[in-house]
Amino acid sequence: MNREKVWFSFFMILALTLNFGFFYGEIDDPIHHNVYELFAVIVVNLIATIMKFGDKTQMGAMLLATSLVAVVQLFAASFVWIFAEHIQQTGLTATSMSTIVALSGGAMLANIISVILLMIEASRFER
Amino acid sequence: MNEVTALFLRRIKAPLILMVTVYSIAILGMILIPGIDENGDSWHMSIFHAFYFVSYTATTIGFGEIPYPLTEAQRLWTVFIIYMTVISWFYALGTVISLYQDKAFQTERKKSRFKRDVRNVNRPYYVVCGYGETGKAVVDALLDEHFGAVVIEQIEDLSEISIHDKLVHVPYLTADASKPEVLEYAGVHQDKCRGVIAVTSSDETNLIIAISSKLLHPNVVVICRSDNKEHEDNMLSFGTDHIINPFESFAEVFRMSLHSPSMELIYDWLTGAPNTSLSTPLNIESGHWILSGYGRFGKQLHKELRIKNIRTVIIDPRKKIKTEFFKNNQTDDDFIIGTGTDAETLTKAGIDTAAGVIAGTDNDSNNLSIIMTARQLNKNVFVIGRENSYKNKLLYKKVNDHYQTDIHRNIEDISTVAHLTMQPSEIIAREIRSILIAPLLIDFIRLAAHEDQEWANITISRLSAVIGENRPYLWTVNITKENAPAIAQALGFGRSIQIKHITRDPVILSKQLDCVTLLLKRGDESFLLPDEETELKAFDQIMFCGLRKVKYAMSPTLTDISLLNYVMTSKNEAQSYIWKKITLLLRKEDKRSSPR
Repeated sequence: MNREKVWFSFFMILALTLNFGFFYGEIDDPIHHNVYELFAVIVVNLIATIMKFGDKTQMGAMLLATSLVAVVQLFAASFVWIFAEHIQQTGLTATSMSTIVALSGGAMLANIISVILLMIEASRFER
Repeated sequence: MNEVTALFLRRIKAPLILMVTVYSIAILGMILIPGIDENGDSWHMSIFHAFYFVSYTATTIGFGEIPYPLTEAQRLWTVFIIYMTVISWFYALGTVISLYQDKAFQTERKKSRFKRDVRNVNRPYYVVCGYGETGKAVVDALLDEHFGAVVIEQIEDLSEISIHDKLVHVPYLTADASKPEVLEYAGVHQDKCRGVIAVTSSDETNLIIAISSKLLHPNVVVICRSDNKEHEDNMLSFGTDHIINPFESFAEVFRMSLHSPSMELIYDWLTGAPNTSLSTPLNIESGHWILSGYGRFGKQLHKELRIKNIRTVIIDPRKKIKTEFFKNNQTDDDFIIGTGTDAETLTKAGIDTAAGVIAGTDNDSNNLSIIMTARQLNKNVFVIGRENSYKNKLLYKKVNDHYQTDIHRNIEDISTVAHLTMQPSEIIAREIRSILIAPLLIDFIRLAAHEDQEWANITISRLSAVIGENRPYLWTVNITKENAPAIAQALGFGRSIQIKHITRDPVILSKQLDCVTLLLKRGDESFLLPDEETELKAFDQIMFCGLRKVKYAMSPTLTDISLLNYVMTSKNEAQSYIWKKITLLLRKEDKRSSPR
């Protein structure tokens, strides 16, 4: 058992599940989307990204790319949140909420691709 | 991905993960612990505010307790934050700093910079392996001729700094050139790479460089230094283009100077040896020679003396060599046991009647003292000195102080006291220079060696009339479409062009350019000092000698067909279509009117 692989898979899948948890619900209803969950998704995704640093294999490069996409999407979502809450101070309107959730949906897609890549890699080794 | 970035990211991974974790714990705590605002109401920091607070605390900026003064519970957590985050920052910074000091990382960085530099060389270049005295001279010669140079040197020293002083950037790598991948970094497999010059101090390394270069890029020109016959044969079998053995090269020079001292002078002068002037020919009297030091060098020169049937007295301290010598030589040559540094041995060897002395031991201070003693005993003796290392200059100074003779007070090295000096690095650099710049020079010397002293003297007077005391410059004109398009085109029309046409000054037609036509090569045939009426043919190669500016004065005639016509007919030709028509009409008018 490769410990690095375990940890990486753990963070990758955790990022996906958390992301799903945040994404699930009415798109424009702030009650369905928890800000702490978004925070957790960002932290877990960041760790998963950093863990792929310096991996020179083809698969490593692909995983780094998909994780980076997810991180960029999530950063964008958190910026929209900060903008709505602190800068405009309008609170979470239906528009801003749906933007945030849409962005996190994109991040989730990237995370799904990451997990699929992870499964492909795993199936190659388990043979 | 780049090796350097990959290494950097791999090392920075752990500190970054630690930082993300520590930050998120700190932020989480800050959000969860309630604070009290100015009205005494309880409030919670938002994630954004917590991130802001942790960021300025972790980086020790410390804006203070905003927006409201913290509660005691918040302060306690802040203490934790400070220690956790600052430690994680130090860890990250320390990792980066230690990475930059890491030997392997530095080597890797230099390597990738070298590879990038090699890719960016924008002209044909040569790879020079070994940056000693020879390498330095070769690099200078290459840059002089507007070639690029790439240097690989195994020993790390200050020469890396000196190479950055050059006007052109020369990529430099401290590495073992005998490893094929190092040659690959230097781009030996690239089309831009014209050749590899292996001048490291080790024959084996040179051999390996030659082999791997030929394997990486079969079309590349390989020039090698070799001191040893065995390695030479091995190099040849791998298709090495030029092998330079400094001992053999010097023996050739020696043979030339025995045969015709003026010829030797021409050779020295044309190959650009320092401190040679055409006005000071060597003067060798007849008589026997004294050869001190019967090693590799001594044997080589003794062979030349034997060919010329000149009696030689050999001085060497090794008894074993004496018996061996008499076993192989049934001649009137003598062998004296001794070092030759003292007057007694030299007198015994007959210094007062000797024509020449060769100080050929492998010890520079011995050689110097042989020369000094010999010159004191016989002022007219011709002296040949062997210099083993450039680095012994300090030693010469000491010997100089010790002798304090009136004749030679300021001796820098052997070359200032000897008539002929064998400096391996110098000889190799000169030979490489002529291979690169004037490949026909070898043919010239080979042919000229058959000529006599008188011929050499005439040539010297011709050369000095043109160049005077300046440094000579050699260049070759190939009559091809690329090199001399105008000539090739005119020859294609079936016109007859002579050498005097291209050596004519295009500005003042009555004048010839200041240059001497040294050699014309046509197929396998070579003509020494061809007549100026010689007609040119396609694919001829002509070597000229003159000043460098004369080369540039000549090149318009070679490339511009209308200028060539002007030079040949001294008539200006119409360039434009309309003017051509007009001149044609005018000419017809002339013809019609002239008979009347």
